[in-house]
Amino acid sequence: MTFSRRSLLAAPALLLARPALSQARFAGLEVKLGAIVPSSGPFAEWGRANTVALRMVEEQVNAGGGIGGARLSIAIYDDAARPAQAANLVRKLADDDKVLAIAGPLTSSACEVAFPVANQAKLVACSQASSKPGTAAANRPWAFRNTIDEAVLMKTALPWFKGAYSVDSVAIIYDAKDANAVALGSRIMPEMLKEQGIRLLNEGSLATFNTGDIDVSAQVTALKALNPAALVVAADYSQAVTVLREMRRQGFIKPIIGGTPLISSAILRAAPEIPVVSCATYYAGQQGEKVQRFTNALQPRLRATAGLPPTIEPSMYDAHMVEIVGMYSDAVLRGGLTLKPADLESDREKLRAHLEKLSGYEGLSGPIHFAPSGDAVKVFFTVVGQNGSWTEKVRGCSTSGSLTC
Amino acid sequence: MLLQQLVNGLTLGAVYTLVALGFSLVMGVLGILNLAVAELFMLGGYVGLGLMLDGQPLLVGLAAAALVTAVLGVVVERVAYQPLRNAPPIAPLLSTLGFSVIFQTVATNVWGSDPLLLPAELMDHRYALGSVSVGQAQLVVMATAVGMVAALALVMRHTRFGTGLRAIAENRDVARLLGVPAALVTSGAFALSGAMAGVAGVLIGLHYGALTPFVGVEVGLKAIAVMVVGGTTSIWGVLLAGPLLGVLEVMTVAFGGAAFRDMTVYGLMILTLLLRPQGLLGRAGGAQRV
Repeated sequence: MTFSRRSLLAAPALLLARPALSQARFAGLEVKLGAIVPSSGPFAEWGRANTVALRMVEEQVNAGGGIGGARLSIAIYDDAARPAQAANLVRKLADDDKVLAIAGPLTSSACEVAFPVANQAKLVACSQASSKPGTAAANRPWAFRNTIDEAVLMKTALPWFKGAYSVDSVAIIYDAKDANAVALGSRIMPEMLKEQGIRLLNEGSLATFNTGDIDVSAQVTALKALNPAALVVAADYSQAVTVLREMRRQGFIKPIIGGTPLISSAILRAAPEIPVVSCATYYAGQQGEKVQRFTNALQPRLRATAGLPPTIEPSMYDAHMVEIVGMYSDAVLRGGLTLKPADLESDREKLRAHLEKLSGYEGLSGPIHFAPSGDAVKVFFTVVGQNGSWTEKVRGCSTSGSLTC
Repeated sequence: MLLQQLVNGLTLGAVYTLVALGFSLVMGVLGILNLAVAELFMLGGYVGLGLMLDGQPLLVGLAAAALVTAVLGVVVERVAYQPLRNAPPIAPLLSTLGFSVIFQTVATNVWGSDPLLLPAELMDHRYALGSVSVGQAQLVVMATAVGMVAALALVMRHTRFGTGLRAIAENRDVARLLGVPAALVTSGAFALSGAMAGVAGVLIGLHYGALTPFVGVEVGLKAIAVMVVGGTTSIWGVLLAGPLLGVLEVMTVAFGGAAFRDMTVYGLMILTLLLRPQGLLGRAGGAQRV
């Protein structure tokens, strides 16, 4: 596999806003970062793609002269989306690998267990995907998420969904073994539906299924009998595919709204005629020079990687990973770090402080800040997936206080 | 809605029956719980559906799945069962569990963790019977479950292979003295068990239109429950217990919630073990072998 010099040099431009790369004050030193991704288990696709994205950044940054002359090295470990494994890996990265900061873990369930360990170790951990409300806020000051709370996203997506599809009633189905899905399906959506004046037809007996179930025929038959105008599906895409396929099989064609984990190319193929509304901070096919450069650089690498589908597209979580490494690099350059092994503890603290007051960092879709909750303040899009592609409908910002996009 | 749920339950029961047959053949006859069957079912689905996605007809997909999983079944027998035949029963059980994990890992590495999606229009036709709707794939799964149980019962009762298997089940040494090629027949049982699981994988993948490397665990455990409730020594028992558990599961989800689903299914399995350990159609003492 060969890549042009232009694509090799694309990532530093994506990652490092300023100062210029030519500065070599860290020559001979190393920026050692850690990453926790689920390269095996049910979210292996996401984890493996994350790994490819991280290796691409590592290669491109080093080819471009490193971070202020320092070589970038990323230690990537697989947590298989298991919370206990993620917590152990945080400890290993902190004590054995002596990394400056961690990118990950991916799932909210893993973050809920791993973030307290990161706090204990005084090591920044920034999740690329967790969006369950309050997961970073409960683990301040060392926990961050380059994601937006699902409740914040739904404040924009739900009113648009209601208007676009004339939704006056819905029914909810969610994955009862997925922390993010449980929060969205059982707490966030029932409250927000009430606020929007949308009737919840299965209030009191919300439909559920469990991660790994292949048969949801009973749930879909029961939902169909309620005859809602639309459906809320709170699950990650690999589980939601089962629901969509069953809906299609039973001739139950209704618009769907759900959280960010729905965004995937697989969901587009499951039932192309069913409109799926969700939110994203990046999606394949998104327009914009920086975004397209990222897509064009990563997509061929993903498709050439064994164990990933030949039709795979970069995901929002790959974009988040690249941004996280970019923000850490920004901290190295502008946060007063020394990168000397003896200063590791104070460098970790300086990096944390830099993220807390992050300003002037340009992500793929716009500037990124961190709210006091530890969640990202950034641009997001309400998108509709139908007939094989995602279409942007509304653009929003997860504004927090004076912080905005 | 009740009738539609009944159809859903019968289809799910047929799915469990198909996989349970793979367990039942080896367990009922040789007394070995081959946990790798659950993953052979998954692998068969990937092989068969993969070929169909490449444009091959259903029959080619089924034949290839059966062949691959039959060979893998023999590999499991040669590595996980034969060398441990005289060890305590837990040894081959754990060994087949090891195979199960390996098969799942291989599938994740080869095909990825994303669902393998079939074209939505494949076996998409539905038949409306009043308020009830039945899909083409549902009918195929139900008919195949009945057909495979009947075929296996015939093989066990009326062929030299079946007679040999039953003789080995009663007393391996005596069977060998009587001229039964014990090693060959045992390998044949594992091969047949694997082939049935592979065929089940293709049909079930067709029915749901999607497959993941993790499907074996969920369906496999339920299939074991079906085998226990039906009677580990009775192949016909599987045909009774499969739909029973399928309908019980669907009705629990529809009227009680998914949270109680596994409680009722495995609760029934425990009740069966306590009150009628030989299962619904099994005979006490394990004398019945078909």
